[in-house]
Amino acid sequence: MNPEAALVLSVHAARRHSSMIEAAGLSKNYGRTRAVDGLNFEVRSGVVTGFLGPNGSGKSTTMRMVLGLDRPTAGTVTVDGRHYHDLKWPLREVGALLEANAIHPGRSARNHLLGLAHSNAIPPVRVDEVLGLVGLDAVSGRKAGKFSLGMSQRLGIASALLGDPGVLLFDEPVNGLDPEGILWVRTLLQSLAAEGRTVFVSSHLMSEMALTATDLVVIGRGRLIADTTVDDFINSNTEATVLVRSPEVDRLAGVLTSIGASVAHGGNGSLLVTKAFPAVIGDAAHTAGIALHELTPQQASLEQVFMDLTSDAVDFHGGRPRTADEVPS
Amino acid sequence: MTTATLSLPPTGAGRAGIRHAIRSEWTKLRSVRSTWIALAVVVVAGIGLSALVSNIEAGRWAGLGPADRAQFDPVRFSQTGVFISQFVVGVIGALIVTSEYSTGSIRTTLASMPRRTTVLAAKGMVIAAVIFVVTELTAFISFFVSQAVLTAHGGKALPAGSSIVTQVRSSVIPVVTVTDSGAFRAVFLCGVYLTLLTLIAVGIGFALRHTAGAISLYVGLLLVIPLVIQILPSSISGSIEKFLPSNLGLAMVVVTTRKTDFAGVLLTPWAATVLLALYAVGVVVLGAWALLRRDA
Repeated sequence: MNPEAALVLSVHAARRHSSMIEAAGLSKNYGRTRAVDGLNFEVRSGVVTGFLGPNGSGKSTTMRMVLGLDRPTAGTVTVDGRHYHDLKWPLREVGALLEANAIHPGRSARNHLLGLAHSNAIPPVRVDEVLGLVGLDAVSGRKAGKFSLGMSQRLGIASALLGDPGVLLFDEPVNGLDPEGILWVRTLLQSLAAEGRTVFVSSHLMSEMALTATDLVVIGRGRLIADTTVDDFINSNTEATVLVRSPEVDRLAGVLTSIGASVAHGGNGSLLVTKAFPAVIGDAAHTAGIALHELTPQQASLEQVFMDLTSDAVDFHGGRPRTADEVPS
Repeated sequence: MTTATLSLPPTGAGRAGIRHAIRSEWTKLRSVRSTWIALAVVVVAGIGLSALVSNIEAGRWAGLGPADRAQFDPVRFSQTGVFISQFVVGVIGALIVTSEYSTGSIRTTLASMPRRTTVLAAKGMVIAAVIFVVTELTAFISFFVSQAVLTAHGGKALPAGSSIVTQVRSSVIPVVTVTDSGAFRAVFLCGVYLTLLTLIAVGIGFALRHTAGAISLYVGLLLVIPLVIQILPSSISGSIEKFLPSNLGLAMVVVTTRKTDFAGVLLTPWAATVLLALYAVGVVVLGAWALLRRDA
C-alpha cells in the first residue's frame, strides 16, 4: 500500500469503536445438507479476524448470511446489533468483497463503482479516491472483463471500501494475487483494523491468516471449531517441540529420556524432543558431556494445527465422493 | 489526493431508497455497450423496416384487388419494425437482470440495497422509461417516414371520416395523417406494447435468473405458443388466440375504423392494452416473489 493510501485511511481512525458482527445459532440448510450448523461467534472491531475453514466448510455461506443474501434456516447474525436488512445506508456501514469477478465484463471499473456509489448516495469523487487507493486509477476506464484476477480483486476491494464502512468482509481476498499483492492486502487489512474497523477475512490459507489475523474463527463442515486468537490457537493445540542435533544422537536420546522428555528421531542426526524446555535439554547434554550442534524451539505452523484440528471435518477426503445434494458454498 | 476529500456526507438522515436505486440502475444500464447497440437496432430496424415495407406495399397498390385494398393499413406498415423490436426489447429486459445473476454482481446490488423489491422496482422503472422514450420516438418517426414514402408513390390522404368502402374504391394509395381516427392511438400504443413486453422480460429474468432460459421463454411466449395454438381445432384456438401477447400487440396497433377482417378476432385496442398490462404486472409479481423468496 502506498503511503498516501495509509494517510487517507487513517483519517477516520478513532471514530469507530464497537462495530461488531455477532452470529447466534446461525444455521443454513441446502436441501438436506446442513452447510452451516449452529454457529456462535463474535467478530470484534480493531483487529483482523480470520475466518478459517477448508473449502466447502460454510465460510462463504456464512458471509452471505451476514449480508442478508442468504436467509438463515435458523439463528441470527447481526452487524452492530442490527440485521443487515435494517441498515439505512448499507454500503456506508458494511463493505464486502465476495467474488472478485462478480462484475459485468463490459462495464468499466469506474462505472461499476459509480453505479454502486449512487445506490448509497456516495459522491462520485469517492469513486476516484478508492480507485487510487487500490492502484487502479490508471485503468479505471478499462472494461472489467479485461482485468486480470489480481486487478479484479483490487476492484472488489475498492467497492468494499467505497462507503468508508466500519465493518468489512473479505472472502478469500488474496486469491489470485501475486506476492506483492498479497503483501498489499495484508497491510491494508491490518491498517483498516488499526483504524478501529471490524475486519472479517475468510481464507483457507492458514499460513496467510497467521501473518494477517489476530483473532480467529475456525469452522469445519459448518460447525464452529474454535473462536480464539491466533496465538492461543497455536499454543493450546500444540506441544512445544524442540529440534536438537548432535553427533551423539543415540546417547543424547537416552539421557533425555532419563530426565522425562519424549524423544523422536528426526533423521539426519536430529531429535524432536517434547516435554522438556530447551534450557533443560542443553544442561542435560552439557552434564553428560555431549556436544550439541543445534537446539531450536519449533513453533507448529498454524497450517499444521489447522490440519490436525479439522481433519475430521474436511469435506473432501480423498476417496469419499461427495453426495449429489452437497452444495459447495 | 488530500485527506479532506474523503469525508462522505453524514448518514444520519434518510436511508438508501428508490431514488438512489434508480440512479444506480441508470448508471449500470448506460455504461454497457450492449444497451446502446440494442437501442440502435430498435431505432434502425423500426424506421428502416417500416420504410421498406411501406415502399413495397405502395408498389403493389395498383395491382391489388378489393379484398387486399381493404387490408391496406398505412399505419400498420409504418410499424413493421415492431416485429423485430419486440425481441430486442425482450433481450434487453431479460439481460439487465440475468447478466447480474450470471456474473454474480446481483449480490453486490442486493448488498447495496437489501430491500429487494426496491431493486426490482428501480430496474423496471429505468428500463421501462428508456424503452418507452426510444420506442415512442421510433414509432412516430417511422410513421411519418412511412407516410412520406407512400406520398412519394403518389399517395393521398383520404377525406376525413372515410370508410373502408372509400379506401377500396380509391384510385390512389391511401395515406394517413396522425390526426386520423385511431392513427395516433395506434402509433402511440406501439411504444406502450414494447414497454410492457420489456417489463414482462424483466419479470421473467427475475423468475428464471438464467439468460438462455429467460430469453427462450420470452420468445416462446411470442412465437411458439401462437404456433401451437394454431394447430388446435379452430373452435378452441379462436377463443384463445386473441389473448396471446402477440395478438394483443396487433390489436393495439391496428386502426380498426378502416378494417373489418379483425373485427371480433382481436380485442379492442384499449382492452388489449389493459390485458397486456395485467400480464406484465402478473409476471413482474412472479419475479418479485422469486427474488424475495430465494437466496441470492
